[in-house]
Formats: sequence, C-alpha cells, structure tokens
Amino acid sequence: MLAYSLKRILQLIVTTLGVVTLVFFTLRLIPGDAASAMAGDTLSGEALQRLREQMGLSRPLGEQYFSYLRGLLSFKLGETITTGLSISSLLLSAIPITLTIALATITLALSIAVPLGTMAAFMAHKGYRTLDNLITGAAMLADLMPSFWTALVFLLLFSLTLGIFPASGTISLEDPRAFLMRLALPVLVLSVTQIAAMARITRTAVLEVLSEDYIRTARSMGWSELQVLFRHALKNAALPIVTIVGLSFGSLLNGTVIVEFIFTIPGIGSLLVYGINSRDYQLVQTLIVFYALIFVTVNFVTDLVYKKLDPRVQF
Amino acid sequence: MTFMPKIDDAVLQVRDMHTHFNTDTGVVKAVNGVSFDLRRGERIAIVGESGSGKSAMAMSLIRLLAFPGKVVSGEIRIAGKDITRLTERELNGIRGKDVGTVFQDPMSSLDPVMRVGDQMIPPIMRHLEIGQKEAQAIAIEWLDKVGIPDAKQRIKAYPFEMSGGMRQRVMIAMALSCNPRLIIADEPTTALDVTIQAQIVELLKNLTAETGAAMLFITHDLGLVARFANKVGVMYAGRLVEFGPATDIFADPRHPYTQSLLRTIPDTTVAKRDRLLQIPGFPPDMKMPMVGCSFRERCAAAHDYCKSSAPDLEFRTENHYAACWLPAGLDGGKTAEDDAPKETAKSASVAPPPRQDVLEINDLHKHFVKKSMLPWAEPRTLRAVNGVSLRLNRGETLGIVGESGCGKSTVARMLLGLEQPTAGQIYIAGAAQMVFQDPYSSFNPKMKVFNIIEEPLVVTRKGTRAERAEKVRSLVTQVGLDQSYLDRYPSQLSGGQRQRIGVARALALNPSVVVADEPTSALDVSVRAQIINLLCDLKEQLGISFVFISHDLLTVRYISDHIAVMYLGEVVEYGPAAHVFDDPAHPYTRALLDAIPSPDPAREANRKIQLISGELPSPLSIQTGCAFASRCPKVMAKCRESKPPIKAFSKQREAACHLVD
Amino acid sequence: MTKMFLTLRKQHWAFPPEFHLPRLSLPHLNQKMIIALVILVPILLLTTFADWLPLQKPLQTNLRAIMQWPSHVHPFGTDRMGRDVLSRTLAGVQLSLVVGFSVAFIAMSFGLFFGTLAGLFGRAVDRAIMTVVDIFLAFPSLLLAIGLVSIVGTGLGPVVMAISLADVPRFIRLQRSLVLSLRSRAYIDAARTVNASQWWLMTRHIAPNTISPLLVAASIAAAHAILVEASLSFLGLGIMPPAPSLGNIIRDGQTYLEQAWWISTLPGVVILLIAISLHFLSDGIREALDPRARK
Repeated sequence: MLAYSLKRILQLIVTTLGVVTLVFFTLRLIPGDAASAMAGDTLSGEALQRLREQMGLSRPLGEQYFSYLRGLLSFKLGETITTGLSISSLLLSAIPITLTIALATITLALSIAVPLGTMAAFMAHKGYRTLDNLITGAAMLADLMPSFWTALVFLLLFSLTLGIFPASGTISLEDPRAFLMRLALPVLVLSVTQIAAMARITRTAVLEVLSEDYIRTARSMGWSELQVLFRHALKNAALPIVTIVGLSFGSLLNGTVIVEFIFTIPGIGSLLVYGINSRDYQLVQTLIVFYALIFVTVNFVTDLVYKKLDPRVQF
Repeated sequence: MTFMPKIDDAVLQVRDMHTHFNTDTGVVKAVNGVSFDLRRGERIAIVGESGSGKSAMAMSLIRLLAFPGKVVSGEIRIAGKDITRLTERELNGIRGKDVGTVFQDPMSSLDPVMRVGDQMIPPIMRHLEIGQKEAQAIAIEWLDKVGIPDAKQRIKAYPFEMSGGMRQRVMIAMALSCNPRLIIADEPTTALDVTIQAQIVELLKNLTAETGAAMLFITHDLGLVARFANKVGVMYAGRLVEFGPATDIFADPRHPYTQSLLRTIPDTTVAKRDRLLQIPGFPPDMKMPMVGCSFRERCAAAHDYCKSSAPDLEFRTENHYAACWLPAGLDGGKTAEDDAPKETAKSASVAPPPRQDVLEINDLHKHFVKKSMLPWAEPRTLRAVNGVSLRLNRGETLGIVGESGCGKSTVARMLLGLEQPTAGQIYIAGAAQMVFQDPYSSFNPKMKVFNIIEEPLVVTRKGTRAERAEKVRSLVTQVGLDQSYLDRYPSQLSGGQRQRIGVARALALNPSVVVADEPTSALDVSVRAQIINLLCDLKEQLGISFVFISHDLLTVRYISDHIAVMYLGEVVEYGPAAHVFDDPAHPYTRALLDAIPSPDPAREANRKIQLISGELPSPLSIQTGCAFASRCPKVMAKCRESKPPIKAFSKQREAACHLVD
Repeated sequence: MTKMFLTLRKQHWAFPPEFHLPRLSLPHLNQKMIIALVILVPILLLTTFADWLPLQKPLQTNLRAIMQWPSHVHPFGTDRMGRDVLSRTLAGVQLSLVVGFSVAFIAMSFGLFFGTLAGLFGRAVDRAIMTVVDIFLAFPSLLLAIGLVSIVGTGLGPVVMAISLADVPRFIRLQRSLVLSLRSRAYIDAARTVNASQWWLMTRHIAPNTISPLLVAASIAAAHAILVEASLSFLGLGIMPPAPSLGNIIRDGQTYLEQAWWISTLPGVVILLIAISLHFLSDGIREALDPRARK
C-alpha cells in the first residue's frame, strides 16, 4: 500500500505540474499574444503596451512562468480584466456551487442507478430479458441525450409548462428552500446522463460477478439467489462502480458548464463562459487549471477508495 | 426405467435424468437419460471427455445449472426426497446440508473479497442451527482436519493469501462442514499440480471413509479413477455407456468407448512402445437429434443395427453394465488399429546412431529482477532457471518434467531465443523451432492456415512463391491434414487440427530440434494420442530431435529417450527414460512418480505411496542447502546446509542428492 | 492437464477476443448494424440531397412567416427570422457528420501510431508518451475543447482540431493496451523464433488485430464528437451563426422556448438519433468480431 500510495502521489504531482505547464504554454501560443488577442482592434499601440505590462507579458517567459506558479500556490490569481475583481474571490464563491451540484448529482445518480442496474443484471442472469432490455435501452437513450438539449426539454416541461421549479432567480444559502429548488433542475438534468452510465456499469459488473465460480460455491452451500446477490455480488461489483464514479466525474464537470450556462447559475462554468466571451485569458487559464485539478483529485480519491475496498492489495 | 428399487442405504438414486440447455441456436441435450445409485460410503467416479455432459450431470443433481440449463425430466432422490420436485427454498435446505460440493478451480471458487471464515461460518450456523461461536469452532475444526496449518489464524485470511492447494482444502472443509451425506466433486484436482493433486485425493479418500459420506467424483483422468473410486460410470454424449465396479471396468471393459479410452493411455509397464490407439472422429453435436448409438461413427465394431436404435445399459457381469449391442464390445469384433500392421516404434537399440549432440546447454541461468517502487527496498530476484546443463543426441527426444513454476518453460523460451539467459551457454547444431501449448492463442486469427505455415519461409526469404506453396502443401500433408484446410482460418479448426498446424509451422524451416512445450495438455485424451503418434512418426521419418516439456509423466515417459526432472529451476535428476521411471534416484522424482496414479486399480491398491507434504517454496527466497529440503521425506541435517551438485552416479544417470553416490 | 480443462470447459464463452474478422458482406450484418443503418442511411441521403428537397434554403429568411408551427411546408417549423428549421437542421447534420467522422479518423490515426509506438518500443518512449497522455486525460474532454477553442478561435477547422486533441489520448491508451495484450500472444513468439523483424510483427500480427477494436471505439468517438461540437456551438464557441449547426440552432431557439418549442427540441431529436445509430453500429461491429458479446 505504501509503495502504491507513493507511486500514485508521485503520479498526481507529475500530472498536476504537467497540466499547469501545458495550460501556461498553450496560452503563449496565441498568434500575436494574449494582450492583442484580447484587445482586438479596440486599443491603440500605447494602450496595448500598458495591457501587456499589466498582464506581465513583457517580462521574460521563465519569469512569467514562475510568477504564475507562485500565484497558483499562494492562491493569488490576479484580477479580471474587464471588471477588476479578484479571481480568487470569484473562485471561492463559484467552486462551492459547482461542487454542490456535482456531489448532489452523484448521490442522486448512485441511489437510483445501483438498484436499477442490479435489477437488470439479476433479470438478465435469470433469463428474463424483457425488463433487462427495457432498462438497458432506456440507459442508452439517456446516455446519448445531449445535456443542453435535456436541460431545455426539462426547462420547458418542469418550469415553463408545469411550473414546479424556478427557471431563474438569485442563489444564496440564506434561503435554503429556494436554493434547493433552484438547483434541483440542473441536478436532475445532470443525473440523467450519470444514472445511465452508472446503471450500465452496475449491470455489467453484477452480471459478470453472478456468473463467477464463487457465486456457484455460495449457492451450493444453500444460499438463495437473492442472498447471494447481496452477500457476494454487490460487494464484488462495488469495485468497478467506484472506478466509474471517478471516471464519469469528467463528463459530470462537462455537464456543469452547460447547465450553469442554461440555468444562469454562478458556478465556475458560468465564470468560464464569461471569461471566454470577454476574452479574459488569465481567467480562462485559471479556471481550466482548476477543473483539471478537481478531476485529478477525484480520480485520486476513488483510486484510493478502490484499493481500500479490495483486500487483495497488501498493506 | 422409472422402477425404483428401495435400497436401504442409498444416498442418491438417479432415474432417467435429462438435462437440456435452451440456447438461442438450439437445444443442447447435455444429459440424455442417466440412471444410477450411490450408497453410503461409496465413491463413484464419472469419467468422460469434455462435452460428454459429466459436469452438467453433476450440477443437475442439486439443480445448480447456470441459465439456460434445466433438468427436464427424470427423478433424483437424495435422502428420500425427489430433487426435481422441490421448490428453490426447499432445495436451499438440502444444498450444503445434505450435499456438499467441491468445484474445479480453487482460484476462482472462493469469494476474493471475503475472509475464509465469513464464507464458511454462516452456512454452518444456518444448516446446523447453532450460534456464531459454535459454528466458528466447527469451521476451525474442519480447516484443521483438511490440513490447514494454524487454522485458528488462517480462518481470518482472505483466499488470495493462500495457494491453490490450500484453497482447495478450504473448499473441501466448507463442503464437508455440515456433515453432508453426499459429496459432489467436479474435477476437484484438475487445476492443481500432481503432488498437490495426490494430497487432495488422499484427503478426500480419508475424509469420506471417516464420515461415511458417499461421493460422486467427476474427472477425465482415468488414473485418478483407478486410485480413488469403487465404481465407475463412463459418460459419452450425455449418457452413461458403461457402469460398474472400478476393478471390473479396468480389467474387463465392455463398451468400445471405454475400451478405446483405456488404450489411449501410454502403458509404462512394458518396455516396447506400441503406437497409441487413437479414436477417430469427433463427439456428436449435442444439438442434433440422436438416432441410434451416439458412438457409432467412431466405433470400429459398428454395424447397421447401431444406426437405427441405441442400446440401453445392459447387464454384463455382476453390477457391471454396458450400453452396446455387442456383449464384449470391440473385443468381439476388431479395432481399427488391428487392420493396419501393428507399427512398433523402433527402439534405439536396433541401430544406435553415433552419439552426436544437436543441443548442449551449459550452466544456464535466468533471473528476473523485480524492482520495488520504493527506492530503499531491496529488489527481489526470481531465480526461474538456476544452473541447468543438458544435452540432446541427434534423433532423440529429451523429456523435461516438473511442476508449474519449476522453470521448464523458461528453459524452452531461452532455447528459442525468446528470452536472453542471465548466464550460461546454449549450443544448437542447426535451428530450433517450437510447438506451443495453447492451440487457441498460438495462431494469428486473421491469417489463413496457408499463411501461418508459410510465415517462417517468408520471413527468412526462402524460395520463390511457388516453391513456398509447394513446401506448405507437403508440410500439411506430412502432419496428416487434407490440403483443403490451407484455406481455412484457425477458428474453423478443432484443437487437434490446430496442434497439427502448429507442428507443420515448426517443421517449415527443417529444424534440427523441435521444442514442444506442453503440446498436448490442452487436448482431450483421444486427441492427445493422435498428436503424440504424429510426433513419434516425425521423429522416425525426419530424424528430428525433440525437447518435450510436460507435467504429464506418462506421456513424457512414452515419448522420451532421456528425461530431466526439474525442481525450482534446477535439474535434480537426468537419465534414460526407462531407468528414471523404473528406478528413480532422487526423492523428488520418486514423489512425482508416486503422485501419478496409474490406470490400474489392482496395481493402485497394492502400491506403497509416499506422498510429499507441503508445497513448492517461493522461488523468490534464497535457500542455502538443497532446494527440495523443505519437502523431502528423507531430509538430513546436511541437506539444509550444503547444496548437492548434480553428478553422475552411473554411466548414464545423474542426480543431485546427498543420498545418491 | 491443468490448462486443458480450463480452456475446454470455458471454451464456449472464453474464445480469444480477436476472433477472425468475418467479411462484412450483407449476410454478416447483424441486427444491431441493421438498426444503425436504418437510421443512418436515410439521414445521410436527406442531408446529401437536401438541395433538391422542396425546402426553403437554410440561410433564407422570411419575416412574414416567423416562428410558425411545424406544417407540411415547414416540417420542423420556422424560427424567429422565418428560416426553415428542417433545412437548417439538415445543413447542421451535414456539418455534424463531417465533424464526427473527421474527429474519429484523426483520433484513430494518431492513436494507432503513438499507441503502437508506446506499446511496442522500450520503456523510455512508453513512459514519455504515457505521461503526456495522462496530462491530457486530466482535462474533462469538453473543457479541454473549450480551452482550445478559446485560443485557436471558432469555426469548423478549430473545432475539429480541438475535439480531436481531446480524443487522441484515449485512442493512444486503447491502442497501447491492445498492443501490450497482443505482444505476449504465442503467435508473436512463433514469429520471433524465426527472427521476424519488428516491422513484420507490427504490420502482420499486431496492426490487423487492433484495427477492429479501434473501429468499435471510433464509431463511439464519432458520436461523442458530434455531441461535443453541438455543445460547443450551443455555448457560442463552435460554429458561429448564421452558419447552421445543430448546437447553434438549439441555442437560437432557447430564448423562444415558450413560444416556439420546436426550434430547440426537434434538432435535438435528430442529434439523439445519430448518436444512437452510431452506438448501434459500434455494438454491431463488436458483436460481429466477438462471439462472446452475442447474448
């Protein structure tokens, strides 16, 4: 376990450094430079030069890189170009919102997908294909619906037609009920895809476990099929499910950008779209780095959880 | 056949059982009317090749068939209850309590994420209706009985922390833990090494004798049957074709299939090598409706009557039944092999060729170094091959035997240049080629047979296109296949045909040495004989030398001129095959030979067997003395201190043991 | 004997995964491929011959017929500028398909090359390639594309490039694992015993056996690329209006969701259909190649 953890931590550090460096140098590849791309045709030569200095672009590349690293480490991320707000404080208010949506989605998705997938697998194993085909088909459909489209359809249905959830409004923790109602729709939209992916994995994993030799052993000792399912199958199937939670966190983050944009929720996704539209490269760069860091960290954690669940790893 | 006599001590009565698998492509009739009785304390072996329906039959007895299998008709009585009529809930009261089951593969038959105790204790609590504490005590007692050292601690272990042999012991402890009257063992030793296999068989024998439980033992190994069973049932195409006392069946088999099977086994008691009998053809497709006797197409004694109606199991001698129209089977008629003049392999003594080594290995070593992620941890060295010296005479066969992990395959790979030796030299006069073990993965599935055989010629740029095509055609004929096979893909061939292609490919470059690494271990017995005969023929015709690597001692003995026995990366004994076999010098060789059951119950009964205890030590550990010291029955203090070098103790023989001088 | 019965007992479902490729003639089309083609072929035909259909041109506006309900003249209705939604959707599909297939092709080619390189050659090459792959995989795919598009700009070329770059690492990883699993096959050993060159091993034994799984992955990647392009265009970062793309058509309709639901919803159904058909295609190929998948 020690060797494994060390290896994994080393990998985490290398990847993080790679991510940070890649983003930094990619931004330096912009034709002209970031400042002129930002300014477009609006600024005169002198004003452009001032912008460059403000962004630190006139310094040597190495110096820029290290001051950027220092900034990341000390969480001093500079200001937005157009409004002059501190990026750090923007992030501090946006990250909790995005993470709330993400975690709520995972919780909801797991609590629906695992029973659904297990049921499908159990039915398939016993040869009742109708229910299995129904669940598998629905999962495939849900998996392939573009989330922005699902969002619009849900908006049309639940807000505009039925009026259950609000489509817009302020978001603050002062009013928990309003907060929940406001986030409910985005979470629902994102859950659709997540449920589909997780139900599929659960079905495959449980189905595979059910045909393992040790399940037959347990049955030969007199356990019923349902007892075997709960005593053995789910425990073994938990391993691939944990992995998929980590991996599908990426598509979940993709989804948050879109639902935040549609439902005008002030998370990092909205901030990102704002940054791109206002050509604030520094903001965009920081946000992308943070997305990657969140994703990498989540995968690191699920990896450790996996190893914890699997006794075959020596401690 | 529905008449069921009341037998007082019958543990299991089966009458006309049929089991079908309703697959998408048709109904596979796996079991087609099987009937037999099993009494208290009896051990019945059910023998048959793969696809004969023996495992489906065994699983049908407790209705534990995987979907889409189903017992469709018949009667199964266990402890007076008809299993076919019970509900699932009632069945669950019988499974584990009245019937214990031991499965084939111990590596996958225990839940990997659950401790041994957690898998054993709850069924005991349930079936014996006792509390956690008592159940745990019983579980520990059983683990102790099956020979798990330090059972109190090991009950908390996970299966992955145990070796295959240990896991199988746990399986047995679990199956016996609720004192079942019937034990079903489905190939319980197939996945294990010979010395471990012998230990497990002894254990099962002793435990059933002790508890009085009856046992149904499924196997393909006729030797095991002879060592183990009171009664034998031979299965073919879903039916019992012969049933009777073990001694009877081996001494006086009555069904042509049983007779043929027994003759496919190399006889080691005679010096002269007869050609092995090979059963032509394939078992029937179980999806097809069966008219007449299912064995008729492979039977030399078949006549018109066999085409129209199938014989039932008929009385032959006391308790001995066979399903054949001919009372004496083949022995009344004639065998296919009798038609041809009996070919006897020329013994080397007829015209001994001048001794000329085609292969010489000197002090060969192969160490695999595994570095840890932690820079301060010591890198671990696996000594796969640890100083092996061998030589091979032109036109002879060298057999290398040993259990898994002894380094025999690594030696083969080094001979072919697939691995680089850590130290030592290999001299080969000419070229070496290889026949691989697994006929399923040794061919590129995207290449036709023609291109597979041609590949070595193309790679080495031999001849023109037309010359190569000519060579390929002659090769495929040489290995006994029709030229029409050249246009097929490997997936369209059977295991035996693929192995013939493997031989043809190895011969393409006219090698002087062919290394065959377990070439028959993936094949059924009847097919195995074909391949062995082919290799012997080629040796005769082409004067090729063979290195034949196997854990199957009977086959090695049959095919080899010299034998090298390997243990933990070292050769412990070397000499002429007959001598090594008849009078083993090294204690390990003796143990290996003792572990192998011979297909003769009379001989098995009188055999004094000395089984070695324990398991193979890890090749990662570095031992000073003799590698075998930890398991040797004759170990002395000297053995643990100094390593005996391999040395000649007679003109032709060598051994590495302090006892041999 | 050990292996023998393991092999034979499990034979019916444990066949080698690279069962030989049946020639894909019509009788070999399985159910799933047929479903895929039944959806995909009409869509392809409609988009190819969109110009000959009796529809208003995609860019033509008609301010006298704005936001009209679907009818026989405008089967998908009209948008806020009176443009025909179906004709715009078909133009968008054309673009989606171009994006999907280009991305699949580019990602597969690069994946094939670098993955084989990583799998076949020594540790240094492997480690270098896989470190870079890991870094790229640290970005959620849409976010990587967003980041790249924000730099290289909008339009078809940049969008294809951005999405491909996000997919290439996945293909490298897949190809590498395929090569690694093939490398220990006995037929590779058999070829090595006659001193076959690396080039021979690669072209004769490894590449032919990795193409099929790559194709399976490629048709999924095509579906995924179509979804990502639509997402980018929806966010206003992909194909810019007035050029129609499924994403920006849906974005256009978002504002009028209450008054004209059809502008956003119907093109979405078309995306869904394409994605479904590509998934069926992928499953179909997988089934044709691997008898185990047939259930």
